[in-house]
Amino acid sequence: MLDVTDVSKTFFPGTVNERKALVNVNLSLAPGDFVTVIGSNGAGKSTVLNTVAGRISQDEGVVSLDGRDVSKLKEHQRAAQVGRVFQDPMAGTSPNLTIEENLSLADKRGRPRGLGFGVTRAKRERFAEALKVLELGLENRLKTKVGLLSGGQRQALSLLMATFSQPKVLLLDEHTAALDPQRADLVTRLTKKVVEEQGLTTLMVTHNMAQALEVGNRLIMMHEGRIILDVSEAEKSQLTPADLLAEFAKIKGAALDDKTLLQ
Amino acid sequence: MITALELGLIYAIVALGVYLTFRILNFPDLTVDGSFTSGAATAAILIINGVNPFLASGAAFVVGTLAGLITGLLHTKGNINGLLAGILTMIGLYSINLRIMGGANIPLLGEDTTISLLRQIAGSGWTSVMVLVAVALVFKFIIDWFLHTDAGLALQATGDNEQMIRSFAVSTDRMKIIGLMLSNGLVGLAGAVVAQHQGFADIGMGIGLILVGLASVIVGQAIFGTRIVVQATMAVVLGAVIYRLAIQFALNAGLNPNDMKLMSALLVIAALLLPQWKGFRKLAARRRKGRSALQAAAAATLTGDAKIDGKKVS
Repeated sequence: MLDVTDVSKTFFPGTVNERKALVNVNLSLAPGDFVTVIGSNGAGKSTVLNTVAGRISQDEGVVSLDGRDVSKLKEHQRAAQVGRVFQDPMAGTSPNLTIEENLSLADKRGRPRGLGFGVTRAKRERFAEALKVLELGLENRLKTKVGLLSGGQRQALSLLMATFSQPKVLLLDEHTAALDPQRADLVTRLTKKVVEEQGLTTLMVTHNMAQALEVGNRLIMMHEGRIILDVSEAEKSQLTPADLLAEFAKIKGAALDDKTLLQ
Repeated sequence: MITALELGLIYAIVALGVYLTFRILNFPDLTVDGSFTSGAATAAILIINGVNPFLASGAAFVVGTLAGLITGLLHTKGNINGLLAGILTMIGLYSINLRIMGGANIPLLGEDTTISLLRQIAGSGWTSVMVLVAVALVFKFIIDWFLHTDAGLALQATGDNEQMIRSFAVSTDRMKIIGLMLSNGLVGLAGAVVAQHQGFADIGMGIGLILVGLASVIVGQAIFGTRIVVQATMAVVLGAVIYRLAIQFALNAGLNPNDMKLMSALLVIAALLLPQWKGFRKLAARRRKGRSALQAAAAATLTGDAKIDGKKVS
């Protein structure tokens, strides 16, 4: 469904700030795969997501969706098939529009936006029905501006919106990181539910090891722009956060050793 | 008074255009200074060549949209800062407007214009004011309707949260261009009607127009609020009328007409600064406790929205 082939990306090439964000990354997701991505800061997790979304254009390599090369497509063109939830709860919704208007925008993903009314009675019923799943009572506040909702409510709404028109691929960029533990749990639960129900091919970046092990059917760990660990569902169920931390320490140690050797 | 009301209602169309860019797209578009004159010039030259004045005004709309298109392309495809893109188009249009008119001025006296038609049907009293009220409201309702369509919602979201709407497969570049075209089309049309109202098109008639538009939008929304779109557009229309009446009042009070631009600038500055000033909020809060309920209500709306305004522009 999603294939990232030999993708490399270097920021500020040829300067002192040169940073290799991705180095020959290969990643292939089968339909329905739910992959969690972990790694330290600057490992390239978000860059992978942004490359798939088209926000960053790769220097080399190919990104293809459903067998079609989308490397040349712009962000908004790829967005017809790619749903996203951002880390910042403010980022995924339009604060000055109402809940129903936001859902209407999500509903039209990948379809032409003409001069028909964005919110009609039929749509409103459908939106209310969908909002019930969130169990936040938002179905009774359809005409509330999204800017008045709390971060957790917004993030839950963002998730619903991102998956509302059943994209081929769902990208989650630490979407629970900015929430309090209770809300984070809620959003994680909703994520699991919606991904399972729709069988979405999902790539989720997280800093939370427990979460990375809890959800999804595959886990990858990144370090310095490379995928250094790829764990399948069977192996993943055996792992604990401590194992992952040990894995981290091993890599960090190795990197340090290389450097010490070079000096 | 009647003239001021009439002009205010015509300028309401400018204000609606400026509202689309300044408030909806969050894009202060200076193109309007040029596209207003372009509209006036286009309509004037067509009218003196015997074209139907309504058709000529329609052509002014089209020319306005083209001006908006240029600014939009410069900004989105050329990655030029929005303010600068507007200024570039505005300056360029000055020469183009001179070319269109073939001179600095085209008199329309004695020609059949939309306004001369209005005078034949409705005279120049309150009836004609009512006709223009209806016209302004028609444009207001068209904007209201458009902003609630799928395309209009995408336009609103583009000004509100670009990253978000792009992630829902909307080309923000295209939406910005559409918004700028629509806005400048309205401004061009208003320029055409103003030229017909005053009886001539002049190369300098658009100078400072952006301030007129901004003053109408800011003053109107500070007084009447912006909670929902239909309210915001109504506030914009009323703001344009209030602004024109204030100008009329200042002129009647003996102010030099040459000082009007300075007055407009000071008015906009005051409307932007006052809500940020603590004393103003205290004053409004004290007034809220005051005697009449009506006063209280008025003060409440004023401060409430002024605060929001202050936040949005700062």
